[in-house]
Amino acid sequence: MSIKYQSQKIAEHFYTFAVILFLVQVIVGIIAAVQFIKPDIFILNFNTIRTLHINAMVVWLLAGMMGATYYVVPEESETEIWSMPLAKFQFWATVVATTAVVLGYIWMGLNPQANSPIMGITPLNEGREYIEAPRWADVLIVISVLTFLFVNFMTMLKTKKWTGIQGTLIGGLTFLALMYLPGMFYTKSMVKDQFWWWWVVHLWVEGAWEVIAGALLAFMLMKVVGAKREVVEKWMYIEVGFVMFTGILGTGHHYYWIGTPGYWLWVGGIFSSLEPLPLLFMVWDAFRTTRDARNVENRAGLYYTVAHAIFNFVGAGLWGVIHTLPQVNKWTHGTQITTAHGHLAFYGAYVLLVLSMIYITLPAIRGVKEFNSSRAFASFWWMTISMVFIVLTITGAGMVQTYMERLMGLDYVAVKANYNLWFWILRAIFGVGFLYGVWIFVLDFFKLGREPMPAAIPGIEKA
Amino acid sequence: MTNKAARNLFIFGSLFFFVIFLGLTFDTMGKLDKRAPEITEKVNAGKMAWHKYDCIGCHTILGNGSYFAPELAKITEKKPKGYLKQFLMDPKAVNPGASMPKLGITSEEADNLLTFLDWTAQVDTNGWPPKPILASAVGAGGKESSAGQRLYQSMGCSGCHMINGIGGTTGPDLSRVGSTRDRAWLAGHFRDPQAYVPKSAMPKVEAPDADIEQLTDYMLTLK
Ligand code: HEC
Ligand code: HEC
Ligand code: HEM
Ligand code: HEM
Ligand SMILES: [Fe+2]
Repeated sequence: MSIKYQSQKIAEHFYTFAVILFLVQVIVGIIAAVQFIKPDIFILNFNTIRTLHINAMVVWLLAGMMGATYYVVPEESETEIWSMPLAKFQFWATVVATTAVVLGYIWMGLNPQANSPIMGITPLNEGREYIEAPRWADVLIVISVLTFLFVNFMTMLKTKKWTGIQGTLIGGLTFLALMYLPGMFYTKSMVKDQFWWWWVVHLWVEGAWEVIAGALLAFMLMKVVGAKREVVEKWMYIEVGFVMFTGILGTGHHYYWIGTPGYWLWVGGIFSSLEPLPLLFMVWDAFRTTRDARNVENRAGLYYTVAHAIFNFVGAGLWGVIHTLPQVNKWTHGTQITTAHGHLAFYGAYVLLVLSMIYITLPAIRGVKEFNSSRAFASFWWMTISMVFIVLTITGAGMVQTYMERLMGLDYVAVKANYNLWFWILRAIFGVGFLYGVWIFVLDFFKLGREPMPAAIPGIEKA
Repeated sequence: MTNKAARNLFIFGSLFFFVIFLGLTFDTMGKLDKRAPEITEKVNAGKMAWHKYDCIGCHTILGNGSYFAPELAKITEKKPKGYLKQFLMDPKAVNPGASMPKLGITSEEADNLLTFLDWTAQVDTNGWPPKPILASAVGAGGKESSAGQRLYQSMGCSGCHMINGIGGTTGPDLSRVGSTRDRAWLAGHFRDPQAYVPKSAMPKVEAPDADIEQLTDYMLTLK
């Protein structure tokens, strides 16, 4: 395995940044979990830790997708990247902006008054979940994403090979960039605030990102098992098509109880309960395509790809659909059931997506023919089993909360502090297991292709 | 189906649904203002304070946010303003066991925040949050209840206090209060909590003497 175009190497920059942030995300995730048991354990309050946890996640997943795109586009267009200096600039600008935003969060965490509005704008933290990044950072993010889209578009324009995969990929990315804008203006009404906020959050994870995932899945299936382009692309169109048909109006499942008209109960209920279907197509597609594959060189890559398809369906599709009907959501809305779904969906759909892309493209970037995949498997099982248990634990906490707080009318704090205490303890323990898996992965990322093959060393210890 | 047909289905189908979505958005925007009270400057100032202190990083509001702390959209319907204000400005002074940190909220900001939360309480949320359907189980627990016990229920004491594991946590647990306080203290404290506990955040019990008497009787049974 080796790359055809030298400029594809830029992908590794983004991957490195992503991998480091992944580690940070999980470490602060464990702190957040411990704060459920001992709230005052750390100098930063829960809200700041949680902000770091979810922002690190969004940024590293985006960085991973950008890296993957910089790899895919030259390959599909059969040419070098249009401008390497611009691509490198975009990378470093992203790193610098992210660092500045993080320092701002920590500052505001230590001294909330530092976030006092200046001309009606909070300078360090917008105080809106996931899009906490302040307005000046929003502008930098938009510039970074536009530069990124521009470089890739110009690369495509060099050879004008409009393959389905890269067209869909760039389409998904453009949709992603556009859907950041509804989160960038202030509204005096909390209802409108949340209305537009969901455009960003929902239309990203159940629209744009899922389209990107569909395109990358098609690419990966071609790479690992040499599937035929015509077939793969046709199914890709059908999958991402159904993602959009169900996902756009599926936004309605967030408009049941925030002050919006009642017809959203029908629109959201009907369309969002169809959302798992395209995710099921993807699982079927992955299995059908890889079933008869023989002599797969990159076993780790194949493994992660298929696992991505499965856990995308389980986390987003199944754990999403259980609470998506208004009759159920009325009781579960804003409980730990939501957290359980959020974790399995992000892990299955996007963590595994980025990791599969890394396992499929990194060996080529590093120019190795084979690599020892034992660490890749070990980290996969540590992470996946731990995540499944975290999710089961939190689903349990959510069921107790829904029953005791929502159905019986017990006090929120009483349920959290007494009845759910053991679930919080278990989550923290499984969290450490997850961290161990991430640690193995990080080691593997830095060592892959840079150490001798196992066959050469008899009796190598297990990863 | 050819690849080209599949591609066109994807592109034009997506556009089709997006246009419907835009139409519904337009319709919704026209209806929202009628489903909520007017937004005054003070409501907006409260919303700014909400963002400034990142309350959403711990709480949900209208069910969205974080799940570390209670939902707040309808909190002003459940608890008196005086108590809430004191809590906002210094949670641990009201309830030593509180997990909410002292954020440095000023008196003016606290007033604004409560005006803002009054606004959210009046938003038409299609009936959310629903009334607990098993609530009766929590009340008397099948036992014959005394007059004092019924007053305790109807006056919302259990929003702040816990008796035998049921009720709120912001005031002290009352399960054994009958063995630590006497009749005079309890009755006096009900009439004017601040005279007995400096800076107490407990609201005065505005009720006729007979009711206070019955509440006190009930308290004294808790041993
Ligand atoms: C670090 C997390 C955190 C932050 C930030 C936070 N809260 Fe809290 N809040 C809590 C917790 C936890 C409780 C539950 C009571 C307790 O244990 O302190 C609570 C309780 C409350 C209560 C009392 C509810 C009741 O039923 O008595 C109100 C009102 C409140 N918070 C409002 C706010 C507002 C307004 C903000 C923003 C200015 C805010 N909180 C920021 C964690 C937080
Ligand atoms: C908004 C919250 C709130 C409500 C409602 C409330 N309390 Fe309290 N209560 C407190 C707080 C805070 C304290 C602790 C400060 C103090 O002792 O005054 C307290 C203290 C008490 C105490 C003294 C406990 C002790 O041993 O020191 C008793 C008894 C009591 N409340 C009974 C009641 C009764 C009966 C009702 C209903 C009529 C009621 N409370 C309603 C918040 C509340
Ligand atoms: C990869 C795709 C998905 C991801 C990453 C994802 C992630 C999330 C996250 C993080 C939240 C919580 C948002 C918040 O903080 O308030 C959420 C909420 C929700 N999701 Fe998903 N989701 C995905 C797909 C789906 C699908 C396919 C469905 C339905 C079939 C669904 C149904 C829901 C519902 C109903 C809620 C609201 C929960 C509530 O009322 O509190 N999700 N999702
Ligand atoms: C060690 C493992 C992890 C632990 C212990 C952990 C812990 C936590 C905690 C305590 C919260 C706050 C939940 C709340 O408000 O009640 C949270 C939120 C969140 N975490 Fe994690 N986390 C971990 C790993 C991950 C991973 C790998 C992802 C995704 C890739 C992730 C994504 C999220 C998201 C999206 C939220 C917001 C959830 C929502 O609003 O529903 N976490 N996490
Ligand atoms: Fe959604």
